[in-house]
Amino acid sequence: MQKYLFLLLLIVPALFAKVQVAVSYPYIAALTKAVGGDNVEVATLAKGNWDPHFVVPRPSLIRQVAQADLLIINGAQLEIGWMPPLIAKSNNARIQPGTKGFLDLSHFVTLINKPSSVSRSGGDIHPDGNPHFSTDPFIMPSLADAIAAQLTRIDPEHAAAYQNNAEAFTQQWKQKLAVWEKEMAPLKGKKVVQYHELYNYFLKRFGLVSIGNIEPLPGINPSSRHTMELIDQMKAQNVTLILQDVYHNPKTAAYIAEKTGAHVVTLPHDVDAVHEADTLENLYNTMVERVTQP
Amino acid sequence: MDARMLYNGEFMKKIVLTAALLPLFVWAQESSYTAYSSSFNQSAFIPDIALIVDTTYTNRNIKDNQQENLSLLGTEYPEYVEFNTNNGFNLNYAELSLHSDVDQVFELDGVFHFNTEGVEIEEAYFTTRALPWHLRLKGGKFKSDFGRHNHQHQHAWDFADAPLVYTTFLSPEGLNNAGLQLQWLAPTPWYMMAGVELMQSGNGASFSNESFDNVEAARAPALTVGYLKNSFDIDDTTILFGVSAATGDFKSEEKAVDARTKLYGADLLVKSYFNSYSYLGWQSELLYRDMSGSDVAADSDFAIKQAGAYSQLVYAYNRNWRAGVRYDTIFKNEIDGDKQSDNLDKYTLMAEYNPSEFSRLRAQYSHSSAFEDATTGNIQDINEFILELNIAIGSHGAHAF
Repeated sequence: MQKYLFLLLLIVPALFAKVQVAVSYPYIAALTKAVGGDNVEVATLAKGNWDPHFVVPRPSLIRQVAQADLLIINGAQLEIGWMPPLIAKSNNARIQPGTKGFLDLSHFVTLINKPSSVSRSGGDIHPDGNPHFSTDPFIMPSLADAIAAQLTRIDPEHAAAYQNNAEAFTQQWKQKLAVWEKEMAPLKGKKVVQYHELYNYFLKRFGLVSIGNIEPLPGINPSSRHTMELIDQMKAQNVTLILQDVYHNPKTAAYIAEKTGAHVVTLPHDVDAVHEADTLENLYNTMVERVTQP
Repeated sequence: MDARMLYNGEFMKKIVLTAALLPLFVWAQESSYTAYSSSFNQSAFIPDIALIVDTTYTNRNIKDNQQENLSLLGTEYPEYVEFNTNNGFNLNYAELSLHSDVDQVFELDGVFHFNTEGVEIEEAYFTTRALPWHLRLKGGKFKSDFGRHNHQHQHAWDFADAPLVYTTFLSPEGLNNAGLQLQWLAPTPWYMMAGVELMQSGNGASFSNESFDNVEAARAPALTVGYLKNSFDIDDTTILFGVSAATGDFKSEEKAVDARTKLYGADLLVKSYFNSYSYLGWQSELLYRDMSGSDVAADSDFAIKQAGAYSQLVYAYNRNWRAGVRYDTIFKNEIDGDKQSDNLDKYTLMAEYNPSEFSRLRAQYSHSSAFEDATTGNIQDINEFILELNIAIGSHGAHAF
């Protein structure tokens, strides 16, 4: 038994030659792979097609956080319901908040929708502001830079590689941003309705206006009264587009569409949320395509 | 106001004085307020504070005072019933919990149960943040990580009461005492965690350490706990299994015993997630208790070997609705080699509605034929209905798996 244990202890350090990075969501994994290249090994904790607020802190995730040299989170309290117990139970001193092994991406983003007052009677609100900034492709280069800087702090040996990768990413990304901006231009000023305030950064970036949500309060299931009010509003303001996410029940959206004649568009919010959104680039390709051709 | 008072010189003087001083107070308060708030305000360091209130309406087919006569053969249950004690309304507790980082080394947690009897320190412990080699140390008063159910707080339970085998072997509040805990996460590809705990003693159901009559207390700590837990996923199904052991002195004045207890546990959880909100979880635990020593009152030796288990199935339809069923049994009950009645069962059904993550309304029905009435010598069937409201405010940390 002891022999096997020693064997295990010999094998394990060999696996750690690369910088082990644990990230909360798939879009962060895509960014980290782009910046880290061959020098990093990335483990993604949450699934792209499930609710990012409700991830089960299962023990296998504790294992992944325990192995990490760097933990990168979205932040702005999106992970408040599941990340703290993983960090605590990981028994990993390297990735504790406040150390160089912990990176909160929301610190590099100007958050919008910060509530001026908070109360739980208003539903599951995020007191720091809207955390779903991953729907805005324009934010990605600054996040890539932040990841490169953090990787450099942990692994100074490959500083040049991280720097170059981040720059190369930004160069390529700028071309794509120009394309998306052009494709989205005709939609400027268009009024939409969404299930949860999940796409606010996307809408703000491309000049679309959200006039209401299907859920009456953040995190609270639709009610018939609120749905009726929303239908009246949509009719009054001539709204023809409903943005539905992949993890909430789409039946209310379908009902509203039937009553108003609007189109329901299932919009991915993260990499792997839908089949076509298999890369970071394809995430925004899919979003733009689905919104422009409902 | 009495009109004459207006002409009372003394009174007028007071008014004038107050009026004169008032701006001064306002000014003083204003200036001290700005000075302190800008330079020495510490409100950003207020710990996470939460208040959880659990209240029930209970209806059972036996009178409250009859509970004292009930016992599971060989266990002297109920020594006390911690929750849902009376027929009618119960305030089980108002739980105040505080949590914060202390510094770069420690975190501190305090959990206090206020009820009509007084205040109880449910837990008060530090945990380390930065030990090397995947070690973590916890110290203070805390719930042991023995088994699966034991470390969970009441508001995280899937049912309104603890499983029968826990209530009878470890009392409703479980293994919870002052001590030290060391946990290690193994560098295995799957989740493997090993832990040891040294505790002052238990809380009187299977473990205690008291000096009385001719019995002298053992050298503390008088209770050692150890466990090994493993977990892995198959797609969206999590499997978690563990083995636990606790061994220690059982020197109790109340029970008039000088004995030692060994307690072994095995637990298994299989939880399948269908989407972000819906799951089916099957959880089972088996406990075996081996207690032997001398009965001080009768001046004779005794040996008790007992085993019990529970198995529960909980289905979450969505974020709002959950339902579950639990089967409890004590299937081995041997006192001094004599087989006692071992057909001791309890069946429980529950359904709950959660308007949000912060409030829960639960209805539970249970039927138990596990307890004997000492006055009649017969098994007393207990039918119990509990309507429970559990509500939380403030910042309550996310629960571990």
